[in-house]
Amino acid sequence: MTQSPASPSAEPQTAPLWRTVLGYLFDVRVLGVLGQIGFIVVVVFGVKAIGVNFAENAQKLGESQFICRDGTFSYRCAYDFMESESGFDISDTMIDHTNTDPYWRSFAVGVLNTLKVGIFGVILTVFVGTFAGIARLSENWLISKLALWYVELMRNTPLLIQIFFIYFGVILTAPNLDEAIQPLGLPFFLSQRGLNIPSIQFTSSAAIWLAFLVLGIIQFQVLGVILSRREERTGQPSNRFSTGIIAFIIIAALGWFVSGAVSETQGLMVTKGSRIREVNDIENMMLQRTGLNHLDELDSLTEDEIKDFALQVCVLEDSASETNFTSQLRKMGIPYRVRRSDRPDQATERYADEKCDVFAATKSILAAERATLENASGHLIIPIKENPVVWSIPTREGLNMVGGSRMKPEFTALLLALVLFYGGTLAEIVRAGILSVSKGQSEAARALGLNEGQRLQLIVLPQALRVIIPPGIGVALSLAKDTSLGIAIGFPDMYAASYTIMNQSGRVLQMFVMIMLVYMLISLGFSVVLNWYNEKIKLVER
Amino acid sequence: MTTHIESTTQQETSSSRGFNWQLFLQDNITGSWYQAILVLALAIITANYAVGQYETYPVMTIIIVAAWLVGIVMVMIGEGRRHHTNFSRWLKENLLSSVSNILLTLLVGLLIASAFIGALQWGILNATFDPAATAPELQPEDGATWGVIVGARKLLATGVLGPEYSWRVWTALFFILGMWLLTYISSRPVLKDKLRVVRNVINGLWLLSPVILYIFLAGVANAPYNFTGALTGGAVLLAIYALLWWQKVIPFRWTGLIATVATWPVLYTIWWAIGNSETFTPINVDEWGGLLLTLIIASSVIVLSLPLGMVLALARQSDVFGIPAWIIWPAGIGATIWGFTSTPELLATSRNLVEQLLSFWPIMILAIAYLIHRMFKGNMVSGASTMFIELIRSVPLITLLFMGINMAPFFFSAGTSIAKPWPVIVGYTLFSSAYMAETIRGGLQAIPNGQYEASDALGFNTLQKMRFIILPQALRIVIPAIVGQFIGAFKSSSLVSIVGLFDFLGINRVISSNPQWLGLRVELYVFMGLVYFLGSFLMSSYSRRLEAQLGVGER
Repeated sequence: MTQSPASPSAEPQTAPLWRTVLGYLFDVRVLGVLGQIGFIVVVVFGVKAIGVNFAENAQKLGESQFICRDGTFSYRCAYDFMESESGFDISDTMIDHTNTDPYWRSFAVGVLNTLKVGIFGVILTVFVGTFAGIARLSENWLISKLALWYVELMRNTPLLIQIFFIYFGVILTAPNLDEAIQPLGLPFFLSQRGLNIPSIQFTSSAAIWLAFLVLGIIQFQVLGVILSRREERTGQPSNRFSTGIIAFIIIAALGWFVSGAVSETQGLMVTKGSRIREVNDIENMMLQRTGLNHLDELDSLTEDEIKDFALQVCVLEDSASETNFTSQLRKMGIPYRVRRSDRPDQATERYADEKCDVFAATKSILAAERATLENASGHLIIPIKENPVVWSIPTREGLNMVGGSRMKPEFTALLLALVLFYGGTLAEIVRAGILSVSKGQSEAARALGLNEGQRLQLIVLPQALRVIIPPGIGVALSLAKDTSLGIAIGFPDMYAASYTIMNQSGRVLQMFVMIMLVYMLISLGFSVVLNWYNEKIKLVER
Repeated sequence: MTTHIESTTQQETSSSRGFNWQLFLQDNITGSWYQAILVLALAIITANYAVGQYETYPVMTIIIVAAWLVGIVMVMIGEGRRHHTNFSRWLKENLLSSVSNILLTLLVGLLIASAFIGALQWGILNATFDPAATAPELQPEDGATWGVIVGARKLLATGVLGPEYSWRVWTALFFILGMWLLTYISSRPVLKDKLRVVRNVINGLWLLSPVILYIFLAGVANAPYNFTGALTGGAVLLAIYALLWWQKVIPFRWTGLIATVATWPVLYTIWWAIGNSETFTPINVDEWGGLLLTLIIASSVIVLSLPLGMVLALARQSDVFGIPAWIIWPAGIGATIWGFTSTPELLATSRNLVEQLLSFWPIMILAIAYLIHRMFKGNMVSGASTMFIELIRSVPLITLLFMGINMAPFFFSAGTSIAKPWPVIVGYTLFSSAYMAETIRGGLQAIPNGQYEASDALGFNTLQKMRFIILPQALRIVIPAIVGQFIGAFKSSSLVSIVGLFDFLGINRVISSNPQWLGLRVELYVFMGLVYFLGSFLMSSYSRRLEAQLGVGER
């Protein structure tokens, strides 16, 4: 860079040709370019040399790496082994997996588990980190000191120790399921078997409701534009946000009722003799059965009596019909007992044996099952209302938990440790972000007459977010990568699944290529989404 | 606007009269509907929690609630008398400033107290401390068995390393501690100038200390004298000397030249003599364990990743004249055409869609050419460094560690066995240096362009510019971040336990599966957490001192 190849001189060129050529050759730029080309050549040949060395070693290790199904050796068969039977079980799966499934399915189970921890982890970390960061700035001495110690503890001990401590010291020393800890009486149950939490279950009519929600979001935007134009035209302030929210709630509620009324997939099978023609008749039937005038008087009966009188409901295992129907029964105050069957024909058999009063399932299943009954015309299928989304709340039933969803101990420990650790990291970032907004901004906002909520929402947070988001992206990426630590406590994430596959099939190189690719894709996905958000909130400079 | 003025005047008059309940309520509870709901919810939760705590720890709850009430009364008296004592003012400002804060103080106070009592019961009241009584049947039901830490101290310190080597570990430890002490003493302002020679010796010892520590901790094998090796080393040092002289780092001196060239053969001869003396017989490196292994890995990574990261950062920032487009494109297109000659055959034999697509692999060459041209403007120094850094940063550390251990045998000729710590250190160093490079790049970017231009104007060459102008400023800016990286490297060295090394954390598996200490995991995790905490804390406080010395953040 420092010297130019041919300096323009006033004198005519007297130097001989070879001198000019040499001058060009020894120019720093030319040398640099030659060096860089040499570098590429070295890299290409280096990779080739490593590849040859690797291939030789692979062949010495029994040629096992690249064997095709017909027994020949070819590099293009590197991933053929993914089709063969995995032969191992995975404890925590989101999609069905048995040990006869092929390797690629086990790998997919691992990838889904990694994504599950990553996504839930990032969402929860945002809450914990923001909360702790604000707590660090609290004017309450006790709270700010508590947050300080939390942050210091998290930042100065290794994540792996925290994972081990939470897994062995907290989760595995928790009581058994029948004595599960229930904090503050909320429907959360912590036990040795993990954490049981309430969950929501989408029924088949949820699609209609979701369409309504999308409609609501669209109208929110459209209404916002219309109102802001009117504001500009007339100068009259209008509360755009509240109006939009209220309109959204109205549309959502409308959608709720419409989707409940329109959908007719859920049904009940009853005998004609039971005189149930619609769901509300169940109440009369129960009154008849118990001999009471009103269901409120159920309290006068003993627990055993209630158990005897309870409506016996046959359902299929893990069906949305169960949560839907039982939630309606709970609302009506009707005592019920549920009998779950694995297959429809088992449920029908129970129903035919009169072990249960009603059989709740989707209408198509019921119609098919009714055809198999001896006296098909003696049974009715009545429609039941179907809410688009139903709460499923865990309840104790003997030694088991029913309803809700269960987080396995390994998942709980990993998620908890990741969230606590990165919450501590994020807390410092949030604190720095809030402190970076100068005091004058807040004072100016107060001087303008904004209230505290407006001050935070319009002045402080947008400016703090600009400082928080870039390092926050780093935290999210680290969290996504550190899900791989789950292997230490046996959580079957992608890494653990790949490691098992590696050990069983001996395909080390292939699996590492897959692992790296997936992690890169995950990192890329996270950073694309978060960078898009960063671009959106970035300060627009002139 | 008129109502506003009225209300302020009213406020002034009312405050002069005495305590105003209306204003108090408006400030604390009824100011807005969400404030009211928040305070109400907080009150309910606090009351609920206090009752629950009263059932488990009645005495503690009564004491805390009483103290809380006394505090409130003190603040109220202070308010009433319009004169606060120092203590009641502190209480008012820090703990009891508003209704929601008063409630929060009680809630958090109870929470902390119950956690403290739980920890006290487990850690001290119900715990045993006898190192001899740690067997499963002697472990207390709901308390810690601290005896294991004393009982298993050898395993915790050095793992399964044989006792015949312990004197070497101790000597190495004392060597390092002595070096620290000497450095500290000789850098005191009083002695700084008087001990110039001593300081040079100490610096030389620091440079040699990796070799000395290696001799102590890994040992030297008894091998025949390698003349060619000694001479090659001398030649390499000569080349380095020439390079440094050419780049004007050192002036030319005959004595210096001879000393430099002779260093390698002399040191090699000493090394060979040590190997022949059989005092420092080689240790099986796989036997390293416990805190020793953690310290070896962490310090190697810290020492190696800083220079490597610096090189990577400088390479990424480099603005050398790139390969011009008129070379990239013809070469790229030529290579692509050459590659496509193999496509027909590949297409003919491919079995499915993926393989058919893969037979068009030469397109990748074009893509790479495009990448080099457009993204890096032909600058391969910056391009290669950027790609390396981004590749490493996108995968988890544990992948690199596993890869080091599982794939290393593939890249060497068959039959060579490599001890586990080495590939782990290499993988970890690559990982750490990629992050270090990004940190240092942050510092480089913070240096204003004028500094570069000024040093160019002074006629500095690139090396001088970096050495005297840019790096001192850039590194000073990022000291906190670099020390943060060091702490991270120290903490994350615990990950090697996952890949089957018995470091300070991994040795836990050995201890808790020993029948003598069966199942004693949590005690060890608490102890290890404390040790890591202490180490990180020392490092960060040293960093704060360094920052103060170098005046980071000041102009």
